Amino acid sequence: MMKGLAVSLGLAGRNLLLVRRVPSVFIPSLIMPLFILIATSGAFHGIGSLPEFAGASYLAFTIPMAATMGAGFAGINSGMTVARDLEGGFFDRLQSSPAPRVALIMGPMFAALVRSIFTTTIVFIAGLIGGVWLPGLLPLLLIYGFALLFGACASCWAIGVALRARTVQAAPIMQLVVFLSVFMSVAYVPASALHGWLGNVAGLNPVTYILTASRSAELTGSIIWSETWPGLVAGFALLILLGVFALAPLRHLENR
Amino acid sequence: MTAAVPVIRQTAALAWRSIVTTIRLPQAWFPALFFPLVLMAIFTASFGGAPGTIPGFPPVRSFLDFAVSGAIIQGVLIGGTSAGAAFATDIEGGFFDRLVASPTSRTSILTGRLGASIALGVGQALLFISVAAIFGARVDGGVLGIFIVVVIASLFAAAVGGLGIFLALRTGSGEAVQGMFPLFFALLFFSSAFFPLDTMVGWYHDVAALNPITYLVESMRREIIGGATIWTALTGIGIALGLALITVGASALALRRRLRVAA
Repeated sequence: MMKGLAVSLGLAGRNLLLVRRVPSVFIPSLIMPLFILIATSGAFHGIGSLPEFAGASYLAFTIPMAATMGAGFAGINSGMTVARDLEGGFFDRLQSSPAPRVALIMGPMFAALVRSIFTTTIVFIAGLIGGVWLPGLLPLLLIYGFALLFGACASCWAIGVALRARTVQAAPIMQLVVFLSVFMSVAYVPASALHGWLGNVAGLNPVTYILTASRSAELTGSIIWSETWPGLVAGFALLILLGVFALAPLRHLENR
Repeated sequence: MTAAVPVIRQTAALAWRSIVTTIRLPQAWFPALFFPLVLMAIFTASFGGAPGTIPGFPPVRSFLDFAVSGAIIQGVLIGGTSAGAAFATDIEGGFFDRLVASPTSRTSILTGRLGASIALGVGQALLFISVAAIFGARVDGGVLGIFIVVVIASLFAAAVGGLGIFLALRTGSGEAVQGMFPLFFALLFFSSAFFPLDTMVGWYHDVAALNPITYLVESMRREIIGGATIWTALTGIGIALGLALITVGASALALRRRLRVAA
């Protein structure tokens, strides 16, 4: 157990080191959440005057979505790192070592979580500059927690794809699913303002409940349990499902 | 006249090759069709309550009518980036050098690739209008309105294609050309492509008001939602033509420079 944790942390440290060594790959994923916050809140500022927003600031409304998306980008990058390691042979060397197999997934995922904390902090700082005050300690921690939860889900998804495809060319599949999972939720407006097909899809999308819970903490400055628990249930259910998706190919890889 | 015939033939042959290459590679055409259509659907479902409710929103039958022109511009931007990357791949893979070593006209190397970009832009404009029409959108300007939208889309496709070729010739790297995509994406968001300019505030409004894409989109949008005049049509055509002249001119200079260095 302790050995697995030590290997996971070692691999996470190596992944984070790559942020400095291959900036062209990682910097866009650090900037994108900031861009999403500014572009979304700027371009769609007017939509905030719909009665469904009840006078809430659209920038504040967008902060949880940008934080969630930033965590999603961090998760995608962990999958791309695994794919690159598979192509370069580093993963094969790890497999032939006595390192616990689960550490091969936990390491990149830990790195994604650390980067999620970083991107979420950037989003909050940008919000402060834009005039949105922090929502209070507990709601703030809850928003960080939901970003980490989604980052872990995205990481499991991306690593699962990487372990199956064994090539970094699978990156568009990793990105597409994460993008669509966020966009086909309550990313831009509350559920009550959604029209037609998207209302039905968003109702079935776990990201809707994660975003609703996170947004509730941001906008009310308190933790409303009735809006928080569906987010926790949806997030952890998704994590278990995608965790199985990521772990399943490991057994297959051992037999290669 | 006799000298022009081979150039036209070579242009057609190279444009056809580019189109066939694009069709054969799903990663080249799929994003240029999929993302604009998906975003158009998501924005229509998300912002359907905006028309008639939000101050500053122009009178439209539905948000879908409003969203079509933004989708066309987005598709052209993505398609142009892919075309530039494909040209860079030709440089990386040696096809460009073989073309230069052959008696192929230098002009047709550019015009062939630009022809393919324009054809893709026209196809995207017609496809997006057709898909939107299936879901209830209408073009207020009728056939003439569709023609003007297609003309603006094709000129803008030439502009983006020219920029892609310029970047490919200067960098010789498909990755570098693809790396420009986030900038294009930013240009799109910092315009009225997805939401009206009059609903934006502060510095964001000022940036969008200076962005030429805003005027391209608005010109197309007027043909679709109504309120078009000769002036709005000429503004869109003029801006697209101006951008095309600048980027195609820059790519011609970059080609001359590359050939001079190679010699």
